This record gives sequence, C-alpha cells and structure tokens, in this order.
Amino acid sequence: MMLSGARQGALSGIRRVIATAMSRDLSAFVLPGPAIARSRGLDLAGSNLIIVGTPRHAGVLIIVGPIAEGLQDAAAVVYAQMPRPRAILALGAGDIAPLPVADASAPLTQDGLRSGLAELRRVVEAGAFHVDAADFTAAALEVRIEYTCPMHPEVIRDEPGDCPKCGMTLVPRETSAVGHGGHEQAQNMAETVDHSEHAPKSDDSCHAGHDETAKDAAYTCPMHPEVVSDEPGKCPKCGMNLVKADGEGGQGHEGHGTHGGHDEHSSEPVDGIEPHFMSMVELTKDQPRSSDGLQMEWIEAPFGPFFPGLPAGLHLSLTLDGDTVAGSDARSLVGMADLPGGTAMAPGQFVDHLAAMQLSPIAYRALACAAIEDAAGIAFGADDRRARAAAIERERIASHLSWLAEFGVQTGFLWLAGRAGALQLAVQGAGTAEIVALAGPIGRLIRRVQAAPLMRMRLRGIGRFGKDRVAWGPVDRARGGGSDARSDDATLKELGFGIRVRNGGDALARMMLRCDEIDQSIGLIATAGTLAAPMLADVGVVSGEGAASIETPRGAARLTVTLTDGKVTGAELETPSTAHLALIDDLTRQRELGDALVAVGSLDLSPWEMRG
Amino acid sequence: MSELSQYAILFGLSIGVFGFVISLYAFARAIGRARAEPGKDVPATAGTLSRDPVWVRYHARYAGYALLFLAFDMEMAFMYPWAVVYREEGLIALLDMGVFLAILFLGLLYGWSQGALRRQ
Amino acid sequence: MTVAIVLLSLALGAYLLAVIERWAVHGHLSLTGPAWAALALLGRESVLARKSDRLFFEIGPVLLLVAGLLAVAVIPLAPGLIISDLATGALFLNAALAYVLVALIMAGWGPNGAYAMIAGWRFLGQFIAYAMLIVMPITAVAMRAESLSTVQIVTSQAQLWNVIYQPIGFVLFVVAAMGLAWLPPLDLPDATGELAGGVEADYTGARLAVLRLGRMTIILALAGATVTFYLGGWLGPWLPPWAWSAIKIMLVAAAMLGVGRYMPRIREARYLALSWKLGISLALANIFIVGVIALVVPL
Repeated sequence: MMLSGARQGALSGIRRVIATAMSRDLSAFVLPGPAIARSRGLDLAGSNLIIVGTPRHAGVLIIVGPIAEGLQDAAAVVYAQMPRPRAILALGAGDIAPLPVADASAPLTQDGLRSGLAELRRVVEAGAFHVDAADFTAAALEVRIEYTCPMHPEVIRDEPGDCPKCGMTLVPRETSAVGHGGHEQAQNMAETVDHSEHAPKSDDSCHAGHDETAKDAAYTCPMHPEVVSDEPGKCPKCGMNLVKADGEGGQGHEGHGTHGGHDEHSSEPVDGIEPHFMSMVELTKDQPRSSDGLQMEWIEAPFGPFFPGLPAGLHLSLTLDGDTVAGSDARSLVGMADLPGGTAMAPGQFVDHLAAMQLSPIAYRALACAAIEDAAGIAFGADDRRARAAAIERERIASHLSWLAEFGVQTGFLWLAGRAGALQLAVQGAGTAEIVALAGPIGRLIRRVQAAPLMRMRLRGIGRFGKDRVAWGPVDRARGGGSDARSDDATLKELGFGIRVRNGGDALARMMLRCDEIDQSIGLIATAGTLAAPMLADVGVVSGEGAASIETPRGAARLTVTLTDGKVTGAELETPSTAHLALIDDLTRQRELGDALVAVGSLDLSPWEMRG
Repeated sequence: MSELSQYAILFGLSIGVFGFVISLYAFARAIGRARAEPGKDVPATAGTLSRDPVWVRYHARYAGYALLFLAFDMEMAFMYPWAVVYREEGLIALLDMGVFLAILFLGLLYGWSQGALRRQ
Repeated sequence: MTVAIVLLSLALGAYLLAVIERWAVHGHLSLTGPAWAALALLGRESVLARKSDRLFFEIGPVLLLVAGLLAVAVIPLAPGLIISDLATGALFLNAALAYVLVALIMAGWGPNGAYAMIAGWRFLGQFIAYAMLIVMPITAVAMRAESLSTVQIVTSQAQLWNVIYQPIGFVLFVVAAMGLAWLPPLDLPDATGELAGGVEADYTGARLAVLRLGRMTIILALAGATVTFYLGGWLGPWLPPWAWSAIKIMLVAAAMLGVGRYMPRIREARYLALSWKLGISLALANIFIVGVIALVVPL
C-alpha cells in the first residue's frame, strides 16, 4: 500500500513511528476552499483536522466535489507544493486528473468525510514511506525559459538576442510552460530586480551626447558656476582658483540644466557634486511613482485561486509597491455565467445546470424555475411562493454566515470563523422551527461581532469606491443605494419585507448590513412558516420568453429564457458578481495589502457566477 | 559567580542550541532527503506559480516612525543606568532626565505635527 | 544543575504552550497533539525554496530559538533557580529579544517568496511600534528596584506587586510583548488570512519545527518577563516559589495566546500610530509618575 505522495524509504523503525504520528496529526488543505466545503454541508472543524491556509503546511489535500476545469492547473500546483508524504482525500470528486489517484475516496456527505478520514489515516500510517516513490509531474509545472528585456517587459522572445526597442541584451527568465507567465501586461509596470541596475546605465548612455550642448566657457569657479572668465584667476565671490569649464576640476559643470529637450525641468547644478549627476528623482522621472513620490520596484504577487479568506476560484494578482497595492488584475477561473446558447436543453437539465453554481444554489435554482415558469405562463399558489421565498431567505442567512466565517479567517478573528461556520452548517438544511430556535445563538453572534474590539478600526473607511460605479445587493445597499429585487416581490411584501439600508459605503457598513439582513431573514422565515426548495413544475410543450429576477445573497440576478417546444433554447444571465469584479481595481488602489484584501473580501464575490 | 563565567554559560547555551538544532536536522535527514520535483521549490502562492524574484527595494511606509525610533532608542540607552541610580540621586535625577525627556518629547510632537507619524 | 532544571522546565512549559496554542488557533484541546505534530513535522520533507538566500533561510529559525533561550536564561523561577543572574538582566533580556527582529527579517528575505518578504518587512514596522514600549516600562520597573537584575526586581516587589504600582506600564508592556511574539491581534508577519502564513509559509519539516519551537520559547520568555517585572515573580503565600512561578507564567502565556482569538487583526498603520502617539506619551507619563512615587513612598 503506497501513498501517491509517499516518501522514499523503507517503512521500518523510526519511520513507522513517524508514519503513525502523521496519521494522528493530519493537517489539511481544502480544495477549493473551506467555504465551499461548508456550503456542501461538511463540518471540517469538528473532525479533529487542522485546516491550514498554505499547501506547505499540509499533509492531506481534501478535494470537495469535482475539480472545476479552470482550477485543474492550480490544483496540480498546490499538490506539487505540498511536502511529502502527502495524501489526497477525494470527496465526491470523481476523476481528479491531473492529480494522481486519490488515496481515499468517499461520497460528499458528513458520514463520507468521517469514513474517508478513517480510511485515510489507515492509508497514511501504512504507506507514508515506500521504497518506490515516483515524481509528480503535470503540464502546469513545466518550466520554459523566455528572454525578456529588463527595460521593456513586454518584449518577450524565445531565444537570446537583443531588444528591438533599446538594443539591450535580453535576459533569461523562467516562466510556466502553460498559461500566462509572470508579467505579461505591458501596462503593469512591474519591474524586476535588474531594472534598477540598468536604469542608470541606459540613462548614462542617453546622456553621453550631452556634453557638447553645454555652454562653452573657458574658466569657471567650482563653487559658483555662474562666474565665467576667459582667463584663469580667482573667483570674486569665494576666492577659489578658477578651473577650466569642461569639468577638469570635476566640479561645477554649469549648463547641466540646459540639455535641450531632455528634461523639462532643468536641474540646478549642485555645488560640489559631479557633473552628469542625476538625482534619483530625475533618473526615475518617467517611471510610475508611489503616492509619496518615491519610485521603488514593484513586484507582482498572486493571491488566488486558493487564498485563505478570499473566495476560491478568484484569480487575483496584485502589483505591490512595498505593502501597498499599485495595481490589480482579477478574473474568475470558474465562471459559469456564460450559458450555452443555441443547443436545446430540457428545462430540468437547465435548472440543474444553473444550480450547479456552488455558493447559493437554491437562489439560482429558484431563478431558473421562475424564469421558465414565466416563459411557460405557470403561476403558483401563495403557499408555494412563500415556501420558495423562505428557502431563498434561509440561503441568505447561510450565505451571510459563511461570509462572516471567511471574514473571520481573513482577519484572524478565529472565534468568529469557527462559530459562524458552525451556525451556517446548522442553518443549512434546517426547517422553519429549527431556524427560529437558532435565532438566539445567531443574534448573540451578531451582537458580539458588531461589538468586537478593534472591529471598527479594522473596517472603517476600507473598501470605498466611486459613487458612479455600479453595484448590487448588500454592496449597494451599504452605501445607501436602494436596489433590491425583493422590493418588487408581492410575496415578500406580504411577509413584511422592508428594504434595509446603511450609509457608509465601506466594509464596516457592508458587514453591519449583512448582519441586519440575517436578522431580517430570520424574521421573514418565521412569518412564512413553511419552507421548501424550489421545484420545477411540469412545463409541457410550450414556447415563449420569460424573465425573472431574484435577490441572491450577493445581489439581484436576472435571467431571461426562451422556451421552444418545451426546451430551453436561449438564456441570458446577469449576475451581481460580474459587476463587482470591476470594482476591485477601485477598492484596492493605493491601499495597504491587508486593507485591500479585506476590501475584496467585503464584496462577497462568487467566482462561480462570474463570466469566465 | 563572576560576570564572565555567566556570559560563558550563556555562550555555551547558544552553542548548545546550535548543536541541538543540527542534531534535529540530522535526525530529519536520516529519515530521508527532500525529493526534487518540478514546481515544488517555487514559493507557495495560493495555487499560482510565481517564479519572479521578489528581492527588490521594499517601499517601507513607516520611515517617519523609524527616524523617531532612532532618537528614542538612543535616549533609552541613557535611561537604563539612570534608572538604576535614580532613587539614590533623588529629585535632581528626576529633573535632569525630565528635561531630557521633555526635549525628546517635543521632538516627537514636532514630528507629529509635520506628518511624520503617519503612513507615508 | 540549575541550568538543567531550568531547561527542563522550559521544555515542559513550551510543550504546554503548544497545547494551549493548538486550542487557541484550531479549537481542539489535546495533550498529545503537539508530540505527534512534532514527530510528523520532523518526518516531513524540508523543502528549500529555489534561488533562496540559503544562509538567511537557515539562520532565521535557529536565531529565533537562540534569542528565546537567551531571554529565558535571565528569568528567575525561584530564588537561585536562574540560569544566569546577570547584574543587567533586564537589559540583557531586551537585547536578546532584539534578535527576534533579525531572525524574522532573515526568514522573510531568505525564501525569495512574495508572502514571506512582505511579512518580514511588515514585522519591521511592528518592531518600530513595540520596541519603545517594551523598553520604557522596563526602565520604570528598574527605577523602583534600583537595579537591572531580574532577581532584585522580583524582591523589590515583596510589599506590592508592580502591576498595582505601575499599571500603565503593565498594560503597555503586555501589549508590546504580544507584538514582539507576533501574537494575534498583532500577528502581522504571520497573518493567515492576509499572507497565507507569512514568514512561516515557506518553511516545512524540521526547519518549521525549529521555528515553532523558537516561537514557543519566546512567548514563554515574555510571559516570564511579565511575571518577573510586574506580577511578583516567585512571590506568594503557601505554595513553594517555583510553583508560583510556573502557575503565573502559564496563566499569563495562556492569556496572551487566547485573547487574540476574539478580535480581528490590527492594521499596521493604526498600530504604529497608536504606539507612537498614545503609547509613548503614556510610557513617558508612566516613567514620570513612577519617578515621583518612588521618591516619595519608600515601598
């Protein structure tokens, strides 16, 4: 029996003890993320696992559900970066290529988790060391050498040579063989280490021709360059001997500031300093500056797709100037919002396809059902509508609690991470009576979060964006906006819905608003009294167009479907996270890294519902 | 016990720690060496391989604080011996150091007013 | 002989701290957990990051452990039970703990990884915030005790513990100590949610074990320092002195480890601003107040 990630060696003596130790102390990295695991009903915290945020500290890779296509490369990278011995536990994951075969598999339920972990412990104890251990390779890990110019990062060639723009020798750089390399956007302005060494050199070469343009006087004073004379003598101001004007004394090169069109703001000759001296400010004149006027090198650091605290599947790449964000690039690797057009799909299949968006499946199922029912002209009784609305509200509570848990992970507020996660698991799948019973603990959690020390300091003023930007859902309502798809819903009005709004427009307001909404949703569910997951009624063979809009926990989602002979032939989906993705640049610009990440987290993005 | 022998013990303790750590590493090495695989030695960055070097000039935003820290650190070096003889010396000691501290504190207030005490 | 006893108590204390830390961070309390974890860590591969600064990468964790041990060496557990009773013990403590900064910067720079490097430099900012607030309260304590020797500082509290005599200094020292040991909410270099492990992120296997052991030692040293400077060291009725030391140090360390669970991480800019604006002013006021009281009251 051998782990796919076993260490080389015979399992004897001390190694046996160590293998036992490893099976007792499992540290797990969850793919795609603990939030997804919770939304599928898995209670990872209760099962004596240590959940870690970086693959380097993990011994087990727990895969929850099938790996999305866009995440396969990242999963291979994560697995490759785990130190051996490493194991894989696949819960309902099926084929997990490019990873090796899972060491333990189980269905995606809490019981499956328990049995899978037990099996995994046995496998680890028996197979952590093995005489045959093979390397793990994947296409995503291959290295390719490319050649780039230090001054012009957009110039990339496959062979060594010279830069076509400035003639410098291209330097080799490692990059991934698949996907895109490190810096590919020319406007990213990220600079590598070599840049600072080359900048003065190239500028010197640019200045090589500047001597000739200097004013040509015979003798001048080293301390007072404005004193010129045709013969040698003494300076009338300070009494020093006059020197030849072409810098023989090495000082006082006057006319340094009259170099044609090179600098618009000429530099005054600085006494006692060498000619051709350019201060750092001048050298770096045309290069991007930080907010305090200095120009330093920037690095580009990825913060996704499996970053703890950020939504899984979001590829966020920040250009960092020290610990300040100078630029950002965000996209989703798992976007499912582009619906297949043209091919006919059975309505049930269409609803399932939409509900396969992890994170708020019930809201999307309700959206699909509502749109198809609208197209088919079916209407529901009040009870059914209430039950459906209550199901969506229950999902809202679970989603906001999940956001609170992720927020807790992100800010190091570990009690919140644990408690909110546990309450989310309790709410998901609960009936109305249980939810009303949970109102007490949830209320206590909310009050404690809102009153936590340092919370206001952590969140106030972070995550503001311009008034003209489009936003939905809690992000919009937290800045006083009034968009809520539930305002037009008669069923919810009967249940006593009134839009909740906060002013502030920052992460604090968003957190408070989500807490308000949790309270409100509990109240709505209590009033509704019944709760049922949305079910698609039998549509029959009809044709028509329908539209619906549902307030998902992240904002209003709009769907239009076209039915032809009982099959869905066209659909268009607009989701809130797609609009919010565009806000990331605003939110993070010139922010400290921690603040930027909290701001991105406060948007409560779902990369699954973005366009990918 | 003389001071020198005490420092000798401390020095011996440090050497002992080095020895302990080396023996731990030797133990770990006896279990096996790290296997070199593609992608494993790239610093872990949340699922994306980032091979670019990060040894660049870091733009520290706390430069103002750092300068004031230097001044105060020098002050603290003087305060240690002062604190030990303080009670003997009495009120004079308090006034002497009070003047020194007040001057430095004024420096702090000046820096504060000029915006040194903020994120640059 | 005393060296051996103190080192054994240190090992035991560090183990108990590891148990407490596991509870504080992960929520399960298990007495054998750290033992299994240590064995598992030693058996895991120790990956060396590519193009890293090998010297810094290796020295970082070791220096942390050395700094912690040297700091523990001047903490008195009972009259006579101290590894080295230096006449300048408090100053030496401060000097040894200054190497924590060097170690973390090395650990940050070494691996040539984005998260680690940012974490290392952020710790430098944190250092600038806490450094003065560790030193100034110690000065006030030394003023009362008329000595920098840790043993003298404890005996000077025979009538009244410093926590009551100089409460401002106590609060400042404890918060600064949490900054030094990068305990939450001041755990900027180690931030899981912001930097996925930060300085610890690129260490695996035996090196990570040494890093964590170093951190436990430092937390123990700081708890010991708090108890020595403010909570009366080994003083107390009924129980033998070493028992009092052990109880007090463990309680303080558990409090330091546990409190961060209940609040979010502080922002670096706010930490620096609060330390230098509010903190230094309070620390100077503390010195002044203690100076006046020490002259007036013969305690």
